[in-house]
Amino acid sequence: MFSQKEFIGASRDFVCVRLESYESEEHQKMVRSFLNGRFENTAFCLLAPDAVTRLSGTGRGPAMGLRSGGRGARGPGGGKGSNDSVIEAMNTIAKKYRTKGKREEAVVQDFHSFRQGLNVASGDQRLFLYVVAPEKERRELRESLRVVLGDQEIVGRFHTDFAETREDAKWRDAVKGAQSKSSLYIIRADKFGQKGSVMASLAMEATSKEIKSALLKANAEFAKTEKRKVYSEHVSEGRREQVYFENGVAYGEDRDGDGEIDHRGGRGGAGRPGGGPRGRGRRGGPPRGPGGPPPGEGTPERPPGRPGGR
Amino acid sequence: MKALLLSTSLLGLTAGLLAAQGPRPNDLGASPQPIGEAGIAWYTTWDTAKAEAKRSNRPIFFMAAAATCSGISGVF
Repeated sequence: MFSQKEFIGASRDFVCVRLESYESEEHQKMVRSFLNGRFENTAFCLLAPDAVTRLSGTGRGPAMGLRSGGRGARGPGGGKGSNDSVIEAMNTIAKKYRTKGKREEAVVQDFHSFRQGLNVASGDQRLFLYVVAPEKERRELRESLRVVLGDQEIVGRFHTDFAETREDAKWRDAVKGAQSKSSLYIIRADKFGQKGSVMASLAMEATSKEIKSALLKANAEFAKTEKRKVYSEHVSEGRREQVYFENGVAYGEDRDGDGEIDHRGGRGGAGRPGGGPRGRGRRGGPPRGPGGPPPGEGTPERPPGRPGGR
Repeated sequence: MKALLLSTSLLGLTAGLLAAQGPRPNDLGASPQPIGEAGIAWYTTWDTAKAEAKRSNRPIFFMAAAATCSGISGVF
């Protein structure tokens, strides 16, 4: 659904946020708040611009949250049982809101850590724009980059992050061609998203036009040379190579909502604390750090329950 | 006939369970979208998403998901 042109079109009338379920306790709490206390690896909900009021039901994905199929289907999706009904429900909801400001002035995307950003860029098979600069320049770039990253030729084609934490400073160990100077780096993640290489770097003084041009050029090269992953094969290969990505909380799900990660094939009890890998050894990657938000970045709020919500 | 009904029920149950649990790794294929084309413009922190929703008055499409599968990275 997420790669469907009509869905992408409908998504532009929303602020789309995708949090990593296993990145931190805060994210886990947020997932639980949408799933009646359960923790599963995906969760969905539409919210009003106040980030509190729920506009849909909740579930593991849009089809569940918008009740677009199945017996007794209710809600904005009307039980039509297709991606089309999800899109229709989204369009209906979006029409109720009068947008403010220009699209080109949108807040610039950010990640809690370089590691997460590089991994998500790999998973989505998009290039990664990484800004390495002192705090003052970073603040200025968060503003000046709005025009470039909100450009209709750029939006939805890249992921962006700013180096901010001590852990982020280790990004150079994971990226071939990385330098120590302040710059805007266009990075291509490797297939498992734990390493990458610099495709281009831009001076801090680069104009919006120059940045846009470099991004488009790199993206064209990327499109020519990157092969789409078949995820089942990717996961099999990862198992063979003992790839492992350490996250902020243990992998697994708590489907009975007892606050503990379930055993595989059972309920209750602990998962693998710390989310350690199966088997011995693991493939190397960038320096691992706590997956949670950096100090001072704030934590996600827990949206209050919706009366009658799921 | 009974065997057929049982098989059908089991298939239905399995499908139901799979739907409830979400896709398993072996069910995952490739995205049909050509590489380099525009996809969803994701925000990846709650703070930036809230700030943009406040600025633009657009509603929020919230997803939590993992870019890992059993700890294997580079997945969506």
